[in-house]
Amino acid sequence: MTSNHAKARPVGQAGWLAPYRVLDLTDHRGALAGQMLAKLGADVILVEPPAGSDARRMAPFASNAQGEPLSLFWSAYGAGKRGITCDLDSAEGQALLRRLVASADFLIESEDPQVMSQRGLDHAQLREINPALIHVSITAFGSDGPKAGWAATDLTAWASGGPLLPTRDPGKTPLRIAVPQAYLHASADAAGGAMVAHFARLRDGLGQHVDISVQQSAAQSTLSSILSAAVGHADYSIGQDARNAKKPLDLSGSGARTRRSKWLVQDGLVEMHLAMGPASGRFTNNLFAWLKEAGACSAEFAEWDWVALPQRIESGEVDDSLLETAREQVAAFVATRTKRELMDEAHRRKILMAPIMTVQDIAHSPHHAARGFFQPVEHEGLPLQLPGPFAFAMNPVAVQPFVAIRPAPTVGQDNMAVYGELCGLSSNEIAALAAKGVI
Amino acid sequence: MRDAPFTDLKVLDLSWVVAGPLIGRVLADYGATVIRVESSKRVDTARVMGPFPGGKPDVQQSALFENCNAGKLGLSLDLSKEQGRSVIRDLVPWADVVVESFSPGHMKRWGLGYETLQAIKPDLIMVSTSLMGQTGPYASFAGFGNIGAALAGFQLLAGERDAMPTGPYGPFTDFIGPRFGLLALLAALDQRRRTGQGCWLDVSQAEAGMQLLAPQLADFSASATIALPDGNRDPHMAPHGVFACRATAGVAAEDAWVAIAARNDRDWHALASAIAGPELASDARYATLRLRQQAEDEIEKLIADWTAQRSPHEVQALLQAHGVPAHVASASADMVSDPQLMARQHFVRLEHPLMGTSPVETSRYRLSDTPGVPVRAAPTFGRDNLFVLRDILGYDQARITELESAGVLV
Repeated sequence: MTSNHAKARPVGQAGWLAPYRVLDLTDHRGALAGQMLAKLGADVILVEPPAGSDARRMAPFASNAQGEPLSLFWSAYGAGKRGITCDLDSAEGQALLRRLVASADFLIESEDPQVMSQRGLDHAQLREINPALIHVSITAFGSDGPKAGWAATDLTAWASGGPLLPTRDPGKTPLRIAVPQAYLHASADAAGGAMVAHFARLRDGLGQHVDISVQQSAAQSTLSSILSAAVGHADYSIGQDARNAKKPLDLSGSGARTRRSKWLVQDGLVEMHLAMGPASGRFTNNLFAWLKEAGACSAEFAEWDWVALPQRIESGEVDDSLLETAREQVAAFVATRTKRELMDEAHRRKILMAPIMTVQDIAHSPHHAARGFFQPVEHEGLPLQLPGPFAFAMNPVAVQPFVAIRPAPTVGQDNMAVYGELCGLSSNEIAALAAKGVI
Repeated sequence: MRDAPFTDLKVLDLSWVVAGPLIGRVLADYGATVIRVESSKRVDTARVMGPFPGGKPDVQQSALFENCNAGKLGLSLDLSKEQGRSVIRDLVPWADVVVESFSPGHMKRWGLGYETLQAIKPDLIMVSTSLMGQTGPYASFAGFGNIGAALAGFQLLAGERDAMPTGPYGPFTDFIGPRFGLLALLAALDQRRRTGQGCWLDVSQAEAGMQLLAPQLADFSASATIALPDGNRDPHMAPHGVFACRATAGVAAEDAWVAIAARNDRDWHALASAIAGPELASDARYATLRLRQQAEDEIEKLIADWTAQRSPHEVQALLQAHGVPAHVASASADMVSDPQLMARQHFVRLEHPLMGTSPVETSRYRLSDTPGVPVRAAPTFGRDNLFVLRDILGYDQARITELESAGVLV
């Protein structure tokens, strides 16, 4: 056990959500939602099938102390939760869950639509037991509508929500992010939506159903380009680079619509958009001031004002080949420098450039160390570094917002405590349920 | 009819672009009064990004700005002037929550730091959202969300194996940060209700982003493995990819793509039957995940040859009829006509003085009893100045005229 766990929190104190209990019925598709609440101190009880959650079998894998494969997806998103087992496809399991629901504030699940109602456990049925229950469901397309029954995966949901298509280089295949994101974004919305419903409950004591659609959550990652057809902005999200065609200049400086922002440096890559125009041309001026100091750019580029450059491009005074030459000089300049060196100068000189961090760069970042972002957790004998809090209180507070998370539970680890404490079952009764395979 | 969740909640929104404003957007959807403060002298980047009606840039008609700020009241204020900042200090006693996204330290230099504001309003909750957080050696590192995506580890993760990465679309951590910031804020509001204590919350977009790479960060700590992209392939599913389709009226071939995944052997059997009949479906060379992964190049070619003859919508319909996960890689035109999004009323049209109607997305959560929806379009510059200054702050006409003539309300 790590030092963080040596001083285990008394339930109901540390953590801003400590007064609340969450029944987490999700599989890998919703595992993050309960964890976000657990980090804030909620008592999150993960309810797994007796064979264990499928989240225990998700990549990536390491070897635990016994040399067996350990899912780091599970280590990461199972952490912070208590764990019980319950066969929700059996009548006895369903009855047990109804007893647990009586004392729960939230229930989160990621079953396909209709599964919960076939079990007699949909929101209408559960609110009869506990009218204050907030029932959150995470499904690919939402719980109703013509596509509600469609087969889906993270990739197809990402495709349906819009961010897949514009994530591509000219003439190339649209790409997902290699670490599947769609259900994670939806799970984060599930946690947020649960708390929004909580504020309605604070007014009148009633729960409700919070219906999360992965498709609708994924659409947030289109940067509102989803609206371009609605406002009649043709061809908006693809942008000039993906088309290799002449299009109006992007003056936002955000780099949102450029693909030409990756630069090879001595030990990897950096991200930098050569921004121009009034919003952020000055950052590119800062870059060229550095090149000039180092004698690394030709005289004419040293004098360019990137704030005013768009007018010169539009008048034809500056053309693509000249811009390309400027890019080449930048490329040659950064190629001989390291990510760390470039980051420090970008920081000092206010240049919109950052190292493209690998997980190794992140793990070794002095910044994250200084902020105490990573939290050590020992899981199945393996010491791990997990992301810790997702916010910090900057002023002294009586109750700390976040709790140190405990390692992900073993299968059925908390059956005795939870079924004893919340359902009033004796150890004999619990053993009998286990013998029948219900838990 | 139940009350909206945030009836009575008052929010002063000093943030800009995407990551900060999306927090206030949720609060406004669910009943909070949110005053969005901005200045036309320092135009919000979201206003210059579009998309725009007819593709014509106009800072008063950006759909991105509309989408991030629908439902809010608009106050135009030049915060570089002391008189502008004094209006903020007057608004603080009214506010439960202040959200800001200036570079760390900027609010303090303006005399609007948390200590100052908290002295005015003891139980204030202030949310500061930034790229790297308020503390640490790189706290003042500047940048938009594409920089955040680089620092949080995402830029490397969209790409083909051993190739220059493409990176995610847009400022990726801007989409993640507000979700975590919102939850922290709502937890803060709940504990304030119980303890009477406010707080100052430091939300880092990079730290929010890294929550979504937690397994890969854990993997590095366990085994020094560095997560890298592998196109659209997946360790648990094969085939698993995005395939080029036939062009159709209005959709060029370069934009016609469909995503297809076989979750298990059953999906593969159904997919193979659909594209080539029972012979392929029962081909022992592809019977298991492991075998299909070994033969993934040839399987992808089989699928690509088949999809190339069909439109993305045809492929989607044929495969869904067999229970196989498949979806068009939707462009905006697909989404605004998507029967599912229409059934869920995902797009809302709000009255707008310049646009006629402003289309925005509805709330990303559907609450059965207290649904959230914006009640007004995002503000044009200074749209609600009079309401805020006169009705909320109780300024008299002389005071308002004085601010106007001093050039503060721009």
